[in-house]
Amino acid sequence: MAQFVPTFQRKASRFAALSLGVVFSLALCNSDAQPQAAAQDSVAQNSAVERGRKQFEQSCGFCHGADATGARGPDLVRSPLVAHDVKGDLIGEVIRHGRPDKGMPPIPAMTDEQVADIAAFLHARAAEALESASVPKSYPVEKLLTGNADAGKEYFNGPGGCKNCHSPTGDLAGIAAKYSPIELEARMLYPGDRKDGPQTTAVVTLPSGEQIKGQVVHADDFVVGLRDASGWYRSFARDRVKVELHDPLAAHGELLGKLTEADVHNLFAYLESLK
Amino acid sequence: MLSHVFPTIKRPSSRANRGPRRARFCLAGVGERGSCGCRLLYRALALPMSTMQGRVMLLLLVFFLVLCAPFVVAQGLDPAALLKPATDTWPTYNGDYSGRRFSPLDQINAGNIGSLTLAWAFPVRVAAIKSTPLEVNGILYFSTPDNVWAVDARFGREIWHYERRSEGDHIGHRGLAMYKNWLYFTTPDAHMICLDAKDGTVRWNVELADPKLGYFATMAPLVIRDHVIAGVSGDVTDVRGFLDSLDPETGALQWRWYTEPDPGQPGSETWPKESDAILHGGGMTWMTGTYDPGLNLLYWGTGNPNPVLAGEGRPGDNLYTCSIVALNPDTGKLVWFFQTSPHDVHDWDSVETPVLFDATFQGKPRKLLAQASRNGFFFVLDRVNGQHLVTAPFIDETWASRVDSRGRPVAKPEAAPSPDGALVEPGSDGSTNWMAPSFDPQTGLFYVNARRLFSIFYLTATGKAEGWGGRDHNLWANSTLRALDYRTGKVVWNHELGNRESIAGILTTAGHLLFTADNSGNLLALDPATGKTLWHLNMGGRLVASPMTYLLDDRQYLIIPVEDILYAFVLPEHLVAGPQSQTTETTNTRPFHSSSTPPGAPWNKGLTK
Repeated sequence: MAQFVPTFQRKASRFAALSLGVVFSLALCNSDAQPQAAAQDSVAQNSAVERGRKQFEQSCGFCHGADATGARGPDLVRSPLVAHDVKGDLIGEVIRHGRPDKGMPPIPAMTDEQVADIAAFLHARAAEALESASVPKSYPVEKLLTGNADAGKEYFNGPGGCKNCHSPTGDLAGIAAKYSPIELEARMLYPGDRKDGPQTTAVVTLPSGEQIKGQVVHADDFVVGLRDASGWYRSFARDRVKVELHDPLAAHGELLGKLTEADVHNLFAYLESLK
Repeated sequence: MLSHVFPTIKRPSSRANRGPRRARFCLAGVGERGSCGCRLLYRALALPMSTMQGRVMLLLLVFFLVLCAPFVVAQGLDPAALLKPATDTWPTYNGDYSGRRFSPLDQINAGNIGSLTLAWAFPVRVAAIKSTPLEVNGILYFSTPDNVWAVDARFGREIWHYERRSEGDHIGHRGLAMYKNWLYFTTPDAHMICLDAKDGTVRWNVELADPKLGYFATMAPLVIRDHVIAGVSGDVTDVRGFLDSLDPETGALQWRWYTEPDPGQPGSETWPKESDAILHGGGMTWMTGTYDPGLNLLYWGTGNPNPVLAGEGRPGDNLYTCSIVALNPDTGKLVWFFQTSPHDVHDWDSVETPVLFDATFQGKPRKLLAQASRNGFFFVLDRVNGQHLVTAPFIDETWASRVDSRGRPVAKPEAAPSPDGALVEPGSDGSTNWMAPSFDPQTGLFYVNARRLFSIFYLTATGKAEGWGGRDHNLWANSTLRALDYRTGKVVWNHELGNRESIAGILTTAGHLLFTADNSGNLLALDPATGKTLWHLNMGGRLVASPMTYLLDDRQYLIIPVEDILYAFVLPEHLVAGPQSQTTETTNTRPFHSSSTPPGAPWNKGLTK
């Protein structure tokens, strides 16, 4: 969605920059677009991570925490050694020889496969920390449903002024089925994707008094360009005509500054009930 | 030899010099491409001396060498020159140490701006140019991630291009620093590279920080005498921010100042004791600071703490993240600090330029420092001791409940990121960001490209947060250029730039002009006193950097990058030669930071009260 682009780009560029593992690349990319071999690799990788998780919990979790964020021993998600490790080449050394000076016992019996699995798990944990700079589209609705739907309905019909443009049996019928909960919350606040939504329109009054109405293609301080009723593009220098712009989303913009946190969550609870 | 001979032409003492100087320049300019001068030499030597043509050639050769001789001079930058404000050049990221981005040049001015014309364009075809070029001795030096160019500042032709592909974040690059004949360039893999300004060859290359840990670098270093000051970026992982001073000759580390104090040191009490949070607390130093040579204080803004949106594991103010700090540039020791966002949980780095100027405050002349901060507040401090003078929102915000006795905004608890989402203005991109602000001593106004930006902040971390621990979704943004009264932070005028987030920087000049761009691809020249548009041009792309200007051959150039093309604007020749053209000799003697508003100027009334 348009409003998410800057966020996504920033996150993606940071993520791409840090080649700390490909485990979570599926979460970022459309898996359908991936070659089949890559998909299989990814499945294999995921199994390695799961085996590694169990192995880690059993052999290392007591000191490093089951999630590797540290307990008596250091946090390994932030570990420079893990960051430099490639498929267990550094991690394996530490596991097998221990860190006697710091009280870590050696585990010489650990097999190559077990080391590789633990390494895969730790790299996955590091990647997860990187990936934490995003909100998954499959965000659990329970986390979002902290408001009161009835209060939301009241706000919708009352102070919010939502009913002036929207109806739960009209344009919003089944809206909760149309969007994922997290998308619905964002679109409820500001429906940013305007391609399939309502467009800004303009009324241009020429010096002769003639009026031209249409959908705005471009508007800045100097020019307004629009598609008139015939479908043809027309443009005008703004210092020679009178221009009135009508932004159908203006009410959303104004509401952003007025909504309390409670209003947001109540309204969301109400819209989420419109399945 | 000839390939790097550039004439160093001082400002002419009289207009009568114009013709000959231009001719000399032309010869040297052609010679620079290794054709004209060499051909003359070759032909003179190849032809028999007895022929008339040979004698003419020899004469021409002698004439050529005589003309060139005075111009074979060092092309470098004496660091002592930086101690005085730049007048006709642009030798540092901000043009001078003050960070005002005000140029005393006025050849291009409010009276002739309508005649501005294109001199040349230089496309880099690599990435958007976010850097501000340096201009030293007729050469522009600028960068994108992994790339540096030296470009003829008169004609827009490439002199050299340096490229070094690297791992690391390529989000943007702000520019270079120069010391004598050397350039300093930071890289996406957090290296500092010293290049020979003559040809772009590498002199040395040192690692500032480990890129495998998530560090990278985008900033333009700052040269102070024999220190090259460099900061680092990277808040996707929980690493410790720092500022380095390197030896310009060798790259050896002179000092390192960590954003988070060592455990047990003053400031460490603002972090939890029984955890490693302080050593993973972020606070990146990713924008170029400013410097007061008189006080010998280096001013730097620090970034957000880590984990970014999840503050639970780091209770306390988290010093010295989201702060303006004053350091001794010779030792790296902290002299004073001011925190703009205590315990930040919104990614509101306080790295925006700390702008230095001297002006009257409550009836007394003061040495001031002003910052329009990413959190939406404008701060004015006494830069001698960090005393807080002004805190005022420069745009709507919804996150602060009040300002405390120390001038720090206090966050509402409900504005903190939450699992169900907290609607907050501004979003994490901030009410402003890295784009350059400006202070114009002629108007006494501080200018900032500001935004109204609503975002919903989600806390996603469960268990111990690592990295960001959440994210915000931008909902709606609208940009506006604001002129602020530095005495109160009140908005004096407002110029709308359109929907979405502007990242266009600002330049003001003695020509009573303010340069920036709107969000529709128009470059703008505004009246700095009123915000009225005096000139605009649709460039078909966005300005994602900051404009700069310089004077060469008695001609003022205005450089504005639009996406991946550098554009140079000048006045048409007949206007430059005309009587209205004024070089600003008088401004050469202007003392550093002076607020040199002409007495009696209408916009000066407030200043003198």
